[in-house]
Amino acid sequence: MALIIVIEDNEMNSRLAARLLRKAGHEVLIAEEAESGLTMTMEKHPDLVLIDMGLPDMDGQTVAAVLRQQDSFSQLPLIAFTAWPEDTAYEMARAYGLDGVISKPIDTRAFAGQVNAFLQGSGEKL
Amino acid sequence: MSTPPESLVSASSSASAYQLVPASHYDVGQLAEIYNATRVDYIVPMPMNAKRMGDYIRTYDIDLNASLVCRLNTDTGVGIAMLGVRNSRAWLTRLGVIPEQREHKFGRIMVDELIQRAQQMRCREMQLEVIVGNEPAYRLFRKLGFEDQRDLLVVRRPPGKIELPLPALTVEPLSAEGINAILAARPERGSWIDENASLVNSGTLEGISLHLPDGSRGAALWVRGPFQISHILLHTPEGDPQQMAYALLHTLHTRGPMMDTKLENLPLHSPFWPVFQQFGYHETFRRIEMSLALS
Repeated sequence: MALIIVIEDNEMNSRLAARLLRKAGHEVLIAEEAESGLTMTMEKHPDLVLIDMGLPDMDGQTVAAVLRQQDSFSQLPLIAFTAWPEDTAYEMARAYGLDGVISKPIDTRAFAGQVNAFLQGSGEKL
Repeated sequence: MSTPPESLVSASSSASAYQLVPASHYDVGQLAEIYNATRVDYIVPMPMNAKRMGDYIRTYDIDLNASLVCRLNTDTGVGIAMLGVRNSRAWLTRLGVIPEQREHKFGRIMVDELIQRAQQMRCREMQLEVIVGNEPAYRLFRKLGFEDQRDLLVVRRPPGKIELPLPALTVEPLSAEGINAILAARPERGSWIDENASLVNSGTLEGISLHLPDGSRGAALWVRGPFQISHILLHTPEGDPQQMAYALLHTLHTRGPMMDTKLENLPLHSPFWPVFQQFGYHETFRRIEMSLALS
């Protein structure tokens, strides 16, 4: 079981993601904004963070940039959670030091497996 | 120029009775909620919280009495359209309608009303930017008479140390007077987001001036946020502009290598774009700037 933080302002997306991940046996915390997501990450030290790239107070890329500058989060799996076109999403994720991309809308059959792969270090490489 | 009196516009479109209400009837949190609801299905939604909406309104001179919320028989907005006003120019921004109400042409209705309001306010021009790929919006604006002006890039640079060679130079921070002088000397007007009034309204404008050994001189201005640098302006009055741009960006990013950087509405044909790319900037998406002459 892993502790996963989902930073996502769209309630439908965050609830669906949380339900699927809890069903897979994980503990899930949700933050609706970047600032609360950063605070939660720094306090809870999760095993993985899913970051929506378009948050209401700060871009998801900037969230990733802030986390990667802290030694204690330099290796934390950070996954971009976005509806961007794949090429753009992968390029941005690589540039900002994220570990992978999971596309929206969520594929409910594949989602938990995608996250598990990133937790195990075998997720799709950028 | 005067702001139009607060007024309600009530009518019926194809299927729904609606009202156009001044955006000033809502607080910034409510406006952010309405705006976010119109973007839920966008690929690049760019949502806002109340603070971000308040900053946006202040920085870009949004006239909330002239701006509109479209609502249907309740106080809940189904659409929003905002109008920035600076002297004789108007700027249409944040136009959106919630997905389930788009068939009723509320977008067209709001833009028509904003054009009328801008004319009442004696504006001579209305401008806007539309994201490349947003074909329904682009077609609407073309139908209304807006014409393409230029392509604009939204670019990002992630944090990272500079590995490029450092040129010999002399650098000094710019005082407030120095910053104002650079703004006054600006050779072309930026897009609404990065023209002088927006930079000044941001409240966190910083700058440096540089001299190179060959006598070249230049300056850079930027807006500094808590985690991000934005609105970068390069001024290269003497010497090779590209060489000076390189020196300015090298200095800026060497001083703050771990700051995330975002630059909105860099003209596609800016001579500085190749220099930005040398420093790791890449394009995230494009906009088309459009304008309409108002009678």
